[in-house]
Amino acid sequence: MINSVRNTVLAIINKNNYGYISPSDFNLFAKQAQLDLFDEYFVNYNQQINEENARVSGTGYADIKKGYEEVIDSFSVTATLAQNAANVFTLPADYYIINKVLCFSGGQLKGEAERVSQSKITLLNSSLLTSPSVTYPAYTLEGNLITVLPVSFNGATDITSQYIRYPLDPKWTFTTIAGGSPIFDQSQADFQDFELPIDDANDLVAKILQYAGISIREGDIFKFGQVEEQMQNQQQ
Amino acid sequence: MAYIDQKKYYTNDGANPTDLNWGSYQYVSLADIVTNFLLMYSGNHSLVNNEDRFKILFHAKRGIQELNYDAFKEIKSLQLTVYSDLRFVLPSDYVNWVRISLFKNNTIRPLLENIQVQSALSYVQTATASFTYDADDNVNTQTSTLDSSRQDGSLNSIYLNQANLDQDNNPPFNEDYYDTYIGARYGLNTETANMNPTFTIDKKAGVINFDSTMANEQCILEYISDGMEGGDDTLITLNKLFEDYIYAYIKYAVLNNKFGVQEYIINRARKDKTALLRNAKIRLSNIHPGRLLMNMRGENKWLK
Repeated sequence: MINSVRNTVLAIINKNNYGYISPSDFNLFAKQAQLDLFDEYFVNYNQQINEENARVSGTGYADIKKGYEEVIDSFSVTATLAQNAANVFTLPADYYIINKVLCFSGGQLKGEAERVSQSKITLLNSSLLTSPSVTYPAYTLEGNLITVLPVSFNGATDITSQYIRYPLDPKWTFTTIAGGSPIFDQSQADFQDFELPIDDANDLVAKILQYAGISIREGDIFKFGQVEEQMQNQQQ
Repeated sequence: MAYIDQKKYYTNDGANPTDLNWGSYQYVSLADIVTNFLLMYSGNHSLVNNEDRFKILFHAKRGIQELNYDAFKEIKSLQLTVYSDLRFVLPSDYVNWVRISLFKNNTIRPLLENIQVQSALSYVQTATASFTYDADDNVNTQTSTLDSSRQDGSLNSIYLNQANLDQDNNPPFNEDYYDTYIGARYGLNTETANMNPTFTIDKKAGVINFDSTMANEQCILEYISDGMEGGDDTLITLNKLFEDYIYAYIKYAVLNNKFGVQEYIINRARKDKTALLRNAKIRLSNIHPGRLLMNMRGENKWLK
């Protein structure tokens, strides 16, 4: 998909000889555009839930939320967290949202830890009825470290997390430059296509055009990208 | 989670204790209650949304505690020997008592609660009635004469008719004037007619105090707890007859404490909860025709 997006972007930009964006610039814009759209999935998902609650959303093929869920779930990863100290574990570098923290003891699942804010954890620990237990563990987040309570969860493989990762940085790769133009080569080791679904190609083009328009100081291109994006959003 | 098979039910698959699962089908665990509530009554399209799990857990436990206080009939029993200190220390999970009995000669004798004070704290006093203090400026205490007289058996009690003239055929001339006449009465006071030991419960001290006739006797305490099983969440259970009620209770408790929830929604939840509690209590009351029959058999007894 990345090559077709790039070709479209270049075709629009070059229409009136506005300019040219290099592969490295394109990769930067592509990364930014993908992150923007990735973020929007979560906002749109929430919007869709509100619409369902307002009974203005349908089921079956009209179930838009399902589509958003599928895209978000395609970034889901389940991994054992690395132990940092006794009951402190390191979150993966690429996590966007922690969805679940599962606590094991002796290889057996004991419970799902609940995230508790730093402002509540001291009170929670002193509560007789609700202090974190093996059945109902809790964790707090500090930097990229989580502290799991109770402290009995202190084994190297005791904590597993299911989380949503960031999409990988897209990279349009090329091998040779023939006639002044780089030729697309997806066999390169560092090639990375967009990870969003194909139907996001239009949005990606619009987003990249906006960044490219600013880069080459062409207001028309920026506006074109903006209008394109607004139209896409209205359709959704 | 799956239902356990019959072998595990009857034998716990050979693991100790083998009777672990007996009767377990009557109950639903706390873990199930919290999980089911979060799955079925909480979420994007439910009245309860974005609530921390620990709040659900709290309300579930509070609901179970409240049920244990009255609606359940989960009465625990503990038998202990009362020694010469005439005290029965309350069990660690004690909340309230149901009945206290003396077990003697293979007979259970329910005991009466003594409404008179049975135990008191006493300060050390000098001859001038002032108090003495220890190094931390706390007043010095001692065993009260009330306690010592109770323990040595010299304490008089209204429950043993000791001041009743009818009890003693001797003329009262050689007895203490107070014991004999002031507060004394003729005939049997049925309210206090009891030859068994009596007790008072000192809730703050965490003990049951008996009179001296209870020394070296067996005492059976029937009591209720709050169902928290000493803080072990895995052991907390709820009778299935109350399962719907506990969900309604949690829902009501959450909505009632949430900002901006319309009053009619709270009222609906409250009515749900109340109606389900009533239903569950009726179910648990277990009015069996067979029991009624047994009670009514005496109705047509022939008097000879």
